[in-house]
Amino acid sequence: MKKLQAIVFAVILGTIFCQSRPAAMYAVAAQNSATNKPSENSAAQTGTTQSSGHTEEAHPSYSRPDSASVDPSEQAKLGGALFQQNCAFCHGRDAAGGETGPDLMRSKLVAQDVAGDKIAEVLRQGRPEKGMPPFTFSATEVAELVAFIHEQRSQAKLHNGSRRGVDVADLQTGNVAAGKQYFNGAGGCAFCHSPTGDLAGIASRYEGLELEERMLYPDDAKSTVTVTLPSGKTLKGTLAYLDEFTVGLRDANGMYHSWPVNSVRYSVASPVEAHVALFPKYTDADIHNLMAYLQTLR
Amino acid sequence: MEMKFLKRAWFMAASVWLASVILSSALMAQGVDASMLRNPPADSWPTYHGDYSGRRHSRLTQISRANVGDLALAWAFQTGQASTLKSSPLLVNGILYFTVPENIWAVDARSGHLIWHYTNPPTKGDHIGNRGVGMYKEWLYFLIPDGHLLCLDARNGHVLWKVEVADVNKGYWTTMAPLVVGDHVIIGVSGDFDNLPGYLRAIDPETGKTQWQWDSTPPAGTPKTATGGMTWMTGTYDPKLNLIYWGTGNPTPVLNGATRPGDNLYTCSIVAVDPDTGKLAWAFQVSPHDTHDWDAVEIPVLVDGEFHGQPRKMLMQASRNGYFVVVDRTNGKDLLSVPYGPVNWSLGIDKDGHPIPNPAKEPAPDGRLIAPDEGGLTNYRSPSFDPQTGLFIVDAHPSYSLYFAKAADGNYGWAGADYGLWGNGVIEAIDYKTGEIRWSHEGGRSGDGAGVLTTDSGLTFTGDEYGNMLALDTRTGKTLWHAGTGAGMQSSPITYELDGRQYVVTGSGSVLFAWALPLHSAEKSEALKKTASH
Repeated sequence: MKKLQAIVFAVILGTIFCQSRPAAMYAVAAQNSATNKPSENSAAQTGTTQSSGHTEEAHPSYSRPDSASVDPSEQAKLGGALFQQNCAFCHGRDAAGGETGPDLMRSKLVAQDVAGDKIAEVLRQGRPEKGMPPFTFSATEVAELVAFIHEQRSQAKLHNGSRRGVDVADLQTGNVAAGKQYFNGAGGCAFCHSPTGDLAGIASRYEGLELEERMLYPDDAKSTVTVTLPSGKTLKGTLAYLDEFTVGLRDANGMYHSWPVNSVRYSVASPVEAHVALFPKYTDADIHNLMAYLQTLR
Repeated sequence: MEMKFLKRAWFMAASVWLASVILSSALMAQGVDASMLRNPPADSWPTYHGDYSGRRHSRLTQISRANVGDLALAWAFQTGQASTLKSSPLLVNGILYFTVPENIWAVDARSGHLIWHYTNPPTKGDHIGNRGVGMYKEWLYFLIPDGHLLCLDARNGHVLWKVEVADVNKGYWTTMAPLVVGDHVIIGVSGDFDNLPGYLRAIDPETGKTQWQWDSTPPAGTPKTATGGMTWMTGTYDPKLNLIYWGTGNPTPVLNGATRPGDNLYTCSIVAVDPDTGKLAWAFQVSPHDTHDWDAVEIPVLVDGEFHGQPRKMLMQASRNGYFVVVDRTNGKDLLSVPYGPVNWSLGIDKDGHPIPNPAKEPAPDGRLIAPDEGGLTNYRSPSFDPQTGLFIVDAHPSYSLYFAKAADGNYGWAGADYGLWGNGVIEAIDYKTGEIRWSHEGGRSGDGAGVLTTDSGLTFTGDEYGNMLALDTRTGKTLWHAGTGAGMQSSPITYELDGRQYVVTGSGSVLFAWALPLHSAEKSEALKKTASH
């Protein structure tokens, strides 16, 4: 009975607490501004104390070489220092993955980046939904970081075997037939998904770790919410925000609306929660088999 | 006659001078002494946890369940930095001292205005965070990222001396708030990307000289042993037993356990160490042979109370690996070890209360599904113990992740890869006698969570994933008050009373907030308390 209550409770919670992007939990995400952290070759050697009644900024002065005359290896070296201070905790000292942050050497975005055209945007905006804060690096600092990341990437290519990370070849230990059976049986996947419907060609769209992560929890899945106003009027849309005080949705026109939760009635439909319910049930073999099966859906 | 008069005048003048010296030295006694640390007055928060016990519980009652709905902003302080506040401020003589890496602010606790700001020149070392300063007499102790300990004059932020306590070039960095015990400044170190032994070190507060060092593991290169056991959170202290209690971090290489067979002592352990000698009294390993980065550095909370009919001196920890443990802190014997959320990596508990790691759940080339994730079921944010309800309240993070390791990943530093899949933030109230969850309060998706503070008036202060600061009813976990702060609380709240007004101070993002009742509510609360006591 108690168990049943717990399950019902979990389902309700699951229904209520559903945001578009969950996973990146990172209890220890690094946050640091580069603006206040000039590079290693700063001239200042002693600390600065201000005694005053106002919060005037005190950045130690330092000088950088003119960016036009920067030699690329020097630029990467400066970027390396910035990387160690601000990025290494999550992305690893060599940018190949550390605590919580992805391996940048295997990042598609890094691979496609040309002279910072993609990386700079991620630095500026952050990826708050994945736990990465925005950074306020100067243009020079961004260029240095980009140089460092690309230098690391070209070095990583030379020593392919020694990199941390997960290759497509690593994820081939499962059994297709067992995976198919799990899909249609114990896993309950077939209640929502179909190999000829939504999953047709899934293995052509995603591969390797990305496919496996999406299989276990598709973190961009949307939930819908129906809100009933005191007037009886009903609004339906994509769940855009929900904490214990406010519910927000985005309607069919892309408009955002929100209400205090205690002034309306609302219900959230969150099919993706079925993935969460599976976590305690999977064996590792189930996952590997399911992965083998999904990889046949080309 | 004249002589006599002069003599008398001289005597009078001398007396006045002496009196003024005594008076001014009393007024000038701005510092922290042993008695303040052992029994902190209501108008102070002189050490990271507020007191030596690590309970993060205050006897203050002005803000109560009845009036917390009126709680309002007293002031806010903008650091102007992108670095998130992860420190617990100290409060001594009406001045708050708090930090981010390479920065200390001294701020008037009544008004929130800046008294001084210290900025260190940029250093090497990981700038992941800074937990705050320690204080002894009128001196502050501050670790900067590159493994140096600074001693500063608390009056003006001037650096008095600086010593190296860890070698940044080997891969150490430093973030923790030093713990002052007697005439020892006790520091710990960080560093997971290299195979390095962790250690505790006691520093002479006056000279900066090393008094002792205790190593978590054998030196790097010792065959078939682990390195690691970093000591990156502030421990606790029992003055009667004269033992400090400290959590140690994960072993290295982190995800690959093949080169370090066995339990890997003293990594992922709670250790009891004599603060005067650095000698180990006992150790309790929470994660034998860890391969998931589950440091056991979470706060070792000291509670005296009844356990199954017997009075006990206990130590409680909600550990990153998902186990809540209660041990007898006189000898390290286990009283209770029980998961407080999803845990799928252990085969149960051995006869001495240690979880038994399941070898099938070590990271593998094709991946293993692991609960909790690498951030753990909780992390550095402080829990709180509420003596009235016997509840241990912790920021929990139920989660699942994938762990990989293969031969090509080697046996140095991280040596593998792991990926979080899903997680959720929950404030949990654990019954310390059984481990039963008496209530849980959903904090929302992601799971960064916030530290916890409880007060004698039955309030729990914490935060959720969305940047709301919350005041909960400690008995039920129900929300009584909230305020959106614009960023998650990456620190743990503190409280104090100044001029008859109770403040709760929290840091969210780069802003420090002080909350208090509006003056008329505070006065009403005090008047009610007086009536009640008559």
